[in-house]
Amino acid sequence: MASDKLRVDALVVGGGIAGMQSALDLADQGYQVALVEKEASIGGKMIALSKVFPTLDCCSCITTPKMSAVAHHRNIHLLTYCEVQSIRENGGGFVAQVLKKPRYVNEDLCTGCRQCEYACPIDLPDPFDRGYGAHRAIRVPFSTAVPQIAVLDIENCLLCGKCEQVCPVSAVDFTQTPQQLEIEAGSIVLATGYEVTPRDAKKEYGGGKLPNVIDALFMERLLAPTGPYGHVLRPGDGKEPESIAYVQCAGSRDQTLGVPYCSRVCCMYAIKQAMLISGALPLADVTIYYMDIRTFGKGYEQFYQNAKAMGIEFVKGKVARITEDENQNPIVRVELIDEGSRVVERTHDLVVLSVGMLPRYNPQPLYGVPVADDGFVEVPSPNISPCVTDRPGIFVTGTAAGPMDIVDSIMTAGAAASEAAAYLRARKSASSVSTTTGKERELVYA
Amino acid sequence: MNGKEEAKKRTQLLKRLREEHKDTVARTQALLKEQNAIRKQICQVMRDAPKTVPEVAEATGLPASQVLWHVTAMKKYNLVVETGMCGEYYLYRRVEETKI
Ligand SMILES: Cc1cc2nc3c(=O)[nH]c(=O)nc-3n(C[C@H](O)[C@H](O)[C@H](O)COP(=O)(O)OP(=O)(O)OC[C@H]3O[C@@H](n4cnc5c(N)ncnc54)[C@H](O)[C@@H]3O)c2cc1C
Repeated sequence: MASDKLRVDALVVGGGIAGMQSALDLADQGYQVALVEKEASIGGKMIALSKVFPTLDCCSCITTPKMSAVAHHRNIHLLTYCEVQSIRENGGGFVAQVLKKPRYVNEDLCTGCRQCEYACPIDLPDPFDRGYGAHRAIRVPFSTAVPQIAVLDIENCLLCGKCEQVCPVSAVDFTQTPQQLEIEAGSIVLATGYEVTPRDAKKEYGGGKLPNVIDALFMERLLAPTGPYGHVLRPGDGKEPESIAYVQCAGSRDQTLGVPYCSRVCCMYAIKQAMLISGALPLADVTIYYMDIRTFGKGYEQFYQNAKAMGIEFVKGKVARITEDENQNPIVRVELIDEGSRVVERTHDLVVLSVGMLPRYNPQPLYGVPVADDGFVEVPSPNISPCVTDRPGIFVTGTAAGPMDIVDSIMTAGAAASEAAAYLRARKSASSVSTTTGKERELVYA
Repeated sequence: MNGKEEAKKRTQLLKRLREEHKDTVARTQALLKEQNAIRKQICQVMRDAPKTVPEVAEATGLPASQVLWHVTAMKKYNLVVETGMCGEYYLYRRVEETKI
């Protein structure tokens, strides 16, 4: 359990892959790190994905070990379900006031057995499955959550007390209240991640209205072994789809949405998903409607060529509109650019919108770190110092700085950790007063 | 404090919380009532034989997407199981001891 005051070298804000990696890179060098995550588990978006391009590694299999490494690292203080409320400068360092939200479950006692969850009578849409699956008012956030501790959603609780009655270790605690915690840190790494375009952002695509038009994050859940249905089924009626279409740039490179930039991952994740669908449903046809295919990374172009060789259909065209027939099959109206801009309507069983990446958190008010025109954290010298923000001592990593894939998020995580370490060392040599003592620090200055 | 006293204290605390969160409790109770009514209908349709989502939807008059959501929730918490396929649809069966 966290004490009321914590003194560390670095505060990492956000526990997605970028934040976790930065925390590990700093902690491995002997620095004391506090990782603050606002959700009840770390893992970010990556833990919800099925497999990852370009290697097709199982996502859980590569993310879960990182999550446990963070939780068990002796130099990392993991603070989940916590939010930074204010930051002030203090002699070149920072003091953060952190709010620890009540879980209504004693973290020291809970074993994650989920008996409370099974006893809870009410089912609610589970955001981890994009609302298409269910969870209870009290639950362990998801099967591979770290920490494996239940959390009670008091806003949707019947207050029937059934969870309390069945808990074998009496961990349910309705008396919990929000707690304040103060963290003193020499530097800060912002790793607050991204959001995806809301599926109903483009009204003409029918997302949110047509039941068989979904977003790509939900397709990740359908393809994951822990997905809500256990199979790739369409949400309108549970049918196993035979014809699936992808609409690329559904939220990126689109002035009407105020998103002129390319989200950089959508071509690759669509190709990846198409390949995985071909494996899960060998008889299904998969079509990708695209403007340009952008496969810029190492091994990515080969990945695209493999998908074409597998029989996935790539159609150059801009989708104008999606409607549905009387059986709720989506009808895609598309201009076929390679066929003299002929406009056709094609019916599919399921349409996936390749939604883009949007900024998630604006650090300006709290951290005094400005954002750029696109809303992502501004990096004044992206070529020379891609992780250095406008404010000395505060660094940024991963998609908080702009759209990028996991490979680049990991890379910038290492870079941000190095920048933070260099900053801490410079500070240390400037003032002979050490902020942290301990055996691990000797490693750094030896 | 002995066990009896503790239990009494817990009951009092819950009572006080229910009073404090009156609106939440009213909303969640209504939601639970609706949920149970739907589940009852779904279980009734599945009583004699496994059914697909569109079959349950047709028999109950509920939208198929809503039936799927409830079946998915019931499957997660072991109240319904999948028993093979019928054409393009999976079949679902009620677990014997399911009581709604
Ligand atoms: C459909 C889809 C499929 C994808 N597939 C792939 C793939 O196969 N391969 C690949 O390389 N990339 C893929 N990506 C991209 C990948 O998801 C991202 O590159 C990666 O997850 C970014 O990690 P992150 O840590 O920067 O952000 P996130 O995963 O968003 O993590 C941010 C974390 O910060 C927390 N947070 C936010 N604000 C605060 C706050 N104020 N205080 C505390 N905590 C906060 C969040 O809760 C979250 O845990 C895919 C993306 C999508 C949309």
